[in-house]
Amino acid sequence: MKVHDPVCGMEIEPQSAFAKREHMGQTFYFCSQSCVDQFDKDPHRYVMTSATTGFNPKMTLARIELPVSGLPLKEHSTRLESALRALDGVSEVKVNATANRLEVQYDAQKVDVAKLVGAVKSIGFQVGGTSVKIGIENLRCASCVKFIEDELKSTQGVLAATVNIATQEATVDYLPQKTTLSQLNAAIETWGYKPRPATSDAPVDKQEEAHANEYRKLMNKFWFAAAISVFVMVTAYYQFVPFLRDLNMDSLRLLWGVTALLTLPVMFWSGSDFFTGAWAAFKHRSANMNTLIALGTGAAWLYSTFAILFPSVFPEGTSEPFYDVVAVVIALVVLGQALELRAKGQSSSAIKKLLGLQAKTARVIRDGKEMDLPVEEVLVGDVIQVRPGEKVPVDGVIVEGSSAVDESMLTGESMPASKKMGDEVIGATINKTGAFKFRTTKVGKDTALAQIVKMVQDAQNSKAPIARLADIVSGYFVPVVMILAVWTFVIWFVIGPQPQFVYALVTSVTVLIIACPCALGLATPMSLMVGIGKGAENGILIRSGEALQTARAIQIVVLDKTGTITKGKPELTDTVTSEQSSVDSDQLLRLAASVEKVSEHPLAQAIVEGAQARKLELAEVKDFEAIPGHGVSAKVEGKNILIGNLKLMNREKIVLGSLEEKSKSLADDGKTPMFIALDGRAAGIIAVADTVKEDSAEAILALQNMGIEVVMITGDNRRTAEAIARKVGVTRVLAEVLPEDKANEVKKLQIENRKSKIQNVVAMVGDGINDAPALAQADVGLAIGTGTDVAIEASDITLIKGSLKGVVTAIEVSRATMNNIYQNLVGAFFYNVLGIPVAMGLLFPFFGLLLSPMIAGAAMAFSSVTVVANANRLRGFKPKFSAK
Amino acid sequence: MSNLQIFVILSGVVMTVLIAWYFWFAPKAQTRVAVSASGAQEVAITVKGGYTPDVIIVQKGRSVRLTFTRQESSACSEKVLFPDFNQNALLPEGEQVTLEFTPEKSGEFGFQCQMGMLRGKLIVEEG
Repeated sequence: MKVHDPVCGMEIEPQSAFAKREHMGQTFYFCSQSCVDQFDKDPHRYVMTSATTGFNPKMTLARIELPVSGLPLKEHSTRLESALRALDGVSEVKVNATANRLEVQYDAQKVDVAKLVGAVKSIGFQVGGTSVKIGIENLRCASCVKFIEDELKSTQGVLAATVNIATQEATVDYLPQKTTLSQLNAAIETWGYKPRPATSDAPVDKQEEAHANEYRKLMNKFWFAAAISVFVMVTAYYQFVPFLRDLNMDSLRLLWGVTALLTLPVMFWSGSDFFTGAWAAFKHRSANMNTLIALGTGAAWLYSTFAILFPSVFPEGTSEPFYDVVAVVIALVVLGQALELRAKGQSSSAIKKLLGLQAKTARVIRDGKEMDLPVEEVLVGDVIQVRPGEKVPVDGVIVEGSSAVDESMLTGESMPASKKMGDEVIGATINKTGAFKFRTTKVGKDTALAQIVKMVQDAQNSKAPIARLADIVSGYFVPVVMILAVWTFVIWFVIGPQPQFVYALVTSVTVLIIACPCALGLATPMSLMVGIGKGAENGILIRSGEALQTARAIQIVVLDKTGTITKGKPELTDTVTSEQSSVDSDQLLRLAASVEKVSEHPLAQAIVEGAQARKLELAEVKDFEAIPGHGVSAKVEGKNILIGNLKLMNREKIVLGSLEEKSKSLADDGKTPMFIALDGRAAGIIAVADTVKEDSAEAILALQNMGIEVVMITGDNRRTAEAIARKVGVTRVLAEVLPEDKANEVKKLQIENRKSKIQNVVAMVGDGINDAPALAQADVGLAIGTGTDVAIEASDITLIKGSLKGVVTAIEVSRATMNNIYQNLVGAFFYNVLGIPVAMGLLFPFFGLLLSPMIAGAAMAFSSVTVVANANRLRGFKPKFSAK
Repeated sequence: MSNLQIFVILSGVVMTVLIAWYFWFAPKAQTRVAVSASGAQEVAITVKGGYTPDVIIVQKGRSVRLTFTRQESSACSEKVLFPDFNQNALLPEGEQVTLEFTPEKSGEFGFQCQMGMLRGKLIVEEG
């Protein structure tokens, strides 16, 4: 009977073991001194095992710690406990709700981890393991699959492992605190296989790879078609070719027979997508671009072949083929598709840029040791060390140290934000100056960056209402073009000049080929993709195409006062001393701050911070007393001090003199004045106020210059509200509005009749919490986020950076994108509306002008390229308030 | 007017009627989705030059699980969008991709590839 050394995993004979230990009713055997030493340091670690098979078969009682997530653990812990206890073999369950951890003691012979995990999941919890895909090179033998699976499963911390021989990948669910990727790789290597990064892990890279393959394929098809085209062109214009023009008709026909055969692979290899696509669409009773190309080139080829096989059927001189049309059109359209694909790749660069921001590794501190781990293995609750110049790997809260962090990549804010203990840091931002440690709060797909990426991707694939029109049009487009082609043929055949049949066929083929439904279909999605990506680059997350389209037409912007126009936090603004005061203003502030330091009033904080900003040293306070509704009294440095409102001063019969006048003017400015009396005599006033953000006035002016009416809404009293409004240049103020009435006020603005009966397009900007109903009521709700809080639900647009300038930029992005969409739609529409009649030969009676099908093919191919190229022009969009 | 000309005109009329009938007026095949053991309405859709099946009838308020398999490399169909449900998925060639959502409104909703060349319809009926 052999046993495993629990530390190194080596198989040893119990009797020849170097040492033996008893722990929690189990016996452990060791191969060497170092293994015993390691075990002795933390024996518990080796008892707790999550692996099910093989690790220590003799061990009957096992313990496992499982991180769980999903439901709130506090409320459902009893259900979870009873579900686990119901399993045969589970002896003890401990739920640690604060750490979201579950400790289970179980009999490894009766129950295994998979069953435990199953029980946890059955109640609706998730076991917070990580899942990783590892590629395995040259995995050929099916029997090795099981070996590798078993090896992985027996690795400590692995919950489940499956190996797929088809994809040559192992999918491993594991607890990252128990094992690391390198250990998993090692497990694969023990069977002689080489692990590699899984290919199916990065969807964006994969898409790029698919695009690259498709591009190569299309280019091959193009070059083939192009080479054949040259030869076919030579035979088609034999009159101009020295040697060919001397051939007689029979030899020429033979030559054309060769070209007929040569164009076949062009049609069925280079142009195979058109024919298979057309057939598939036909089966679905629908028609698209493929249908048109297939019909056009197919008709041309059939006619040409018929003409050289049975020349006598046709009048003299009309039996010449036009295989050149077939080859050249296919070559051009395929080239167009290739170019379009390339241009498309550029349009999605915003997402790539965002994903590229993600740090690859994190320096995690576990058990007092620093280790570099792939960012996927970082857990919530880990402490991570970040040095100057490094990227913050995931989201968290600083627990040690301070620094300045460059958040421009996410917020567009160019000034580094200073961060100290307790401040939040966001993954993908760059640490500038100091080193710090932070505790992770969000990892993986929960990080701000991952959420941003998800949101942007979803929005890029959403639909702008304007696209619905294009959709309806393109639903009827292709059959209409087919009908037009039929009647082009009929009219040319009936009233056209000689040779009628050739004219009729060429014009109808040209009609089929020049019509381009793709340009219409591409017009909106391409611009939307670039525009929404552009917004994201500037810290503006646009939820959907609809929001983007509506933002363009905004007529009224309603700004919430607190937290939107203002900082949302009171600050010390004025200190005024009375004439008879015995102290100067610094002294006054110092004494007041000393008292307020004890107080819990929100305004008190502002005074204390104000004093700290002036580097004043605070004094000891005695006999502190809060007088509800009035203020506070205390004793500082032997002086009796009173701080409070007018009521307090009147109650204490303090003569205020000119101070009363002063306080009124401060209140008119929207400030909150507090009187201070020292030893029964009025000493001065300290005023605090919620101050305006530095750039609010500038942003509001910019909005007004864009022709947008700016309205302020607030629950505050009218006097304060108007004082703030004056400062930022807002003339219309809705004050004393209860939070629940904000939505109503927005509605009133929407139906407020200005000139027309059409509703006004109203945007509401708020900080997202109490403004949620108003944000939802508004045509466009813009939430001002504070960086980490990106998942604000009620809003259509989220401004990551807390500045009103974002509102301006959001409207600018919207206007630029919508203009681009209009250009594309109008361009695509006019292309078809002008191109099709010309192709039908409308100009022929007047100018004798007819379009060659080959020109039509070129026009069609490049019209969709033009649309994509025009959308890409948006990438050069620069907002007025540039982030840099 | 020669007989041939009259024949061509008549053929034109017939073709027009045929095209209009075939693409617009003929009834389309519809696929009613069965409810699986798990309670979801599951359907597998092949993407190749079009969606097969392309008209899918489901019940309102019950989870719909659509598994797409794209069997072509053309970049046109690499994404499928359900704009009315704000759902979309990237469809790597040859891979099964499942989209799951619960339609909470009834009516006819289109789904399509990114540029609208391939189209299908999801008909949500009152349960």
